Amino acid sequence: MGGDEDDNGIKLYPPSGELPPPLKELLEEGEEVVAVARSDLVGDEYGEKHVVLTNKRLLVLNEGLEYEVPLSKITMASLRSYINTCVMALDTDEGPKSVVVFTKARLKAFESLVSLINNLVVGRIPYSLLKRQLLKKVKAEAEKRSSRAVLIRLLGLLKPIAPLLAATIIVAVAMRLVNLIPPYLMKVLVDEVLTTRAHVEKLAQIALGLLAVNLVNTALRTLNGYLSTKLNVAVANRLRYKVFSKLQELSLSHYDRFTSGSLFSRVIDDVNRIQWFMTGSFNMMFINAAMIAFIGVTLVTLNPWLTAIALLPIPIAILGSAIYRRLAARYYHRLWRRWSRIVSIVSDAINAAILVKSFGKEPTFREKFSESLEEYERAQMDVFKFEQEIWPAVGLAFTISNILVWWMGGLQVLNGAMSLGSLMAFTSYMWMFYTPVFSLLENVKSLQRAAVAANRIFEVLDLEPEVEERPRARDLELRGEVECENLWFTYDGVHYALKGVNLRIRAGERIGLVGPSGSGKTTLVKLLLHLYEPQVGAIKYDGVDVREIKSSSLKKQVAIVLQNPILLDTTIAENIMLGREDASPEEVIAAAKAARAHSFIMRLPEAYDTEVGSRGSRLSGGERARVALAAALLKNPKILILDEPTAALDALTEEEVTEELERLTKGRTTIIIAHRLSTLRFVDRVVVMDEGRIVEEGAHEELLKRGGLYKKLWEAQLKGLTRMSAATVSGGYVR
Amino acid sequence: MCVENLQRELKILDPRRVHVLEARLDEVDVEIEGRVYCGVRPRRPFPYSHPEIIMFYKGEEELGMLRDYRRLDPRSRELLERVLRIIYFMPRVKKILGVRSAKGKYEWRVVTDKGPVTFYTWSRCIRLLRDGRLLIRDIDGRVYMVENPEKLDSKSRLYLSMMM
Repeated sequence: MGGDEDDNGIKLYPPSGELPPPLKELLEEGEEVVAVARSDLVGDEYGEKHVVLTNKRLLVLNEGLEYEVPLSKITMASLRSYINTCVMALDTDEGPKSVVVFTKARLKAFESLVSLINNLVVGRIPYSLLKRQLLKKVKAEAEKRSSRAVLIRLLGLLKPIAPLLAATIIVAVAMRLVNLIPPYLMKVLVDEVLTTRAHVEKLAQIALGLLAVNLVNTALRTLNGYLSTKLNVAVANRLRYKVFSKLQELSLSHYDRFTSGSLFSRVIDDVNRIQWFMTGSFNMMFINAAMIAFIGVTLVTLNPWLTAIALLPIPIAILGSAIYRRLAARYYHRLWRRWSRIVSIVSDAINAAILVKSFGKEPTFREKFSESLEEYERAQMDVFKFEQEIWPAVGLAFTISNILVWWMGGLQVLNGAMSLGSLMAFTSYMWMFYTPVFSLLENVKSLQRAAVAANRIFEVLDLEPEVEERPRARDLELRGEVECENLWFTYDGVHYALKGVNLRIRAGERIGLVGPSGSGKTTLVKLLLHLYEPQVGAIKYDGVDVREIKSSSLKKQVAIVLQNPILLDTTIAENIMLGREDASPEEVIAAAKAARAHSFIMRLPEAYDTEVGSRGSRLSGGERARVALAAALLKNPKILILDEPTAALDALTEEEVTEELERLTKGRTTIIIAHRLSTLRFVDRVVVMDEGRIVEEGAHEELLKRGGLYKKLWEAQLKGLTRMSAATVSGGYVR
Repeated sequence: MCVENLQRELKILDPRRVHVLEARLDEVDVEIEGRVYCGVRPRRPFPYSHPEIIMFYKGEEELGMLRDYRRLDPRSRELLERVLRIIYFMPRVKKILGVRSAKGKYEWRVVTDKGPVTFYTWSRCIRLLRDGRLLIRDIDGRVYMVENPEKLDSKSRLYLSMMM
């Protein structure tokens, strides 16, 4: 077991044969090596150090033992990131200690190491549990890699449409075989009818034969078109459905890891690539192989010597094609770069039109655009010139071979060693032979491209949801008590957004969550909703661990209104009904009224039946916020979480909504994140967060008296308001 | 925040206690629970999904909501519908004579229950309602309804499917 070279620089549970040499002698009785991470710097020079985590201590090896510290003395491990380098540091009983420096190439490896250390020393996860999980991971990785014959997996995925695929291939091969008959009929026509006049009666038969071949060919072509279209759609739909379903299952952390563009490209572009391959190249590989075999045998049967001559230009063409592929990548990449630049300028000019115009940068953009167009033209001409250097030479080889065939074949016809019909049939088949040979070479390239695309798709399909419901999770009728126990959470493994948060909220209590930007407020509510799993600690509702509660049950009873809510591209009514699908029209209106959304909705000509556009773009930020709040209120949740509910509202509406919130949240567990502290005047308790920690808790007055961060935030807002009113007075209202 | 409580605040009106007295273009004079209001505008909060629900507005003030205006007495209903037909004027498409692309727009020639009309749309112009009806929005924001697309003649259906 073990030996998993993970993340380019860390090995989990390496076998003893792979341990760095001095380590074996250093290990004590019962000490197990959990992970070995390799740095790629020693000081400011390239070099290698090993950082070894065992179940008892952390060791740094640089030829010999450089540093060691028992885990019991470590309070926390962390990473500090610079332009190119990172430093792993420890907080120990003896003070902070920088342990090792490495370049960012090893960041992932050390992120894993830091997480492991913190799991043990901060999270106090029992070692036996950690070991079990890690060994499971090592095993799963090993299995995944051994079975990663990507295309076989891809075919496995497409198994349900295998009969359709087979039928498409069979019909396509049959169609091409039928195409081989006319040259043979022409041979018979020339040799036995037109030149000898011995079998004139055969003329009609040959004509009928040609007609029959044409009819069969037309029928097969239609059938082939039908099957190909069906296959085309079936492949794409099956893959897209698989990937899309997986996306729905993924945890939010996966969405953070992949950019939305990258996920989008996997659903659209990579599936397209595989679709093209499966319906184009994959079919053609079989068809081409069959054609090469059939025509090859026919050519040899007609004339083995001429066949040898006909084959001569093929190695030249293969060589030319290989050179072309190698060099073409450079030329086409340059062309693509030039094109990207044009797209980027257009995109900037459109998306940032207001910026461009307000700074008067139109002439600069025009100039840049014109330059880019010229560069593109030059790149395109270079591609043309380059292609002219390769293909004419290859073409010449074919021309010479063709002339040789006619010359040698012509001599044989004149000598009576070969019939005229055979020569004509031979040349027809010869040209038919070249096409599948080159097509097969192209197919191999497509196969490589499809394998890359398939790999990217499997990367998504292989992801496992990080937020997992335990098998024994159950429905729970919530009372409204919430408890956070020692929550530690990091999005990237480096920076901890929450550092040991402990918070207890009584059922029906209203909490205000305040703190500077990036203090961890939003992260905390995401964890409360179980959208993420904390690396350490637990969240409990009414004393039950959130992992023990069915996600559907939790989502029914906990509602959240996000800071910049996004609406679905449907009507206002349906967006509000996300809160409860079976709500009556009266309830929808009631919820909208409570959220102070009703008035603006009724001013729209189509009122609640108005479509809001993609992401709610046809509404203003404040309107979107109010519709989202209405949806949350319609849910009638036991626990309500509001992330900056009034951020996008004007002062008057803010006042209205705050009043309404005060009424609506009475007796209901409510967590309100707010920058505008005036929104929090009715809460029972204010919790102040800073840098991932809770730094103060208490009632508004109490916190002001304490003179800490809350007082500073309060005074800063007050100062802002005073300045504004002073400006208003001096601005002429009094004069 | 119980929604049931909020429902009480909606001022749901008893149709037996609402009488429309007069209709003028987009306004009605209405007697609600014994009190007469002049210049009241009826509005449909759900013009497509629940056209039977009506809310009455006197300026910005909301006077109340009828769950189903069809339960009003016949005279009131007739007067109210006269106003609703103006406020929610919507031609019903009976036949599509042709759709052609012209300068980045699409020109529709249709026959509606209000007579023949030619209008222009952008490419994304059709909205499918839950109950299967279609709305075609032209570039001026006017909306035309296709009540039962399946019942249109085959040529009209072909034009519709081209644009959907």
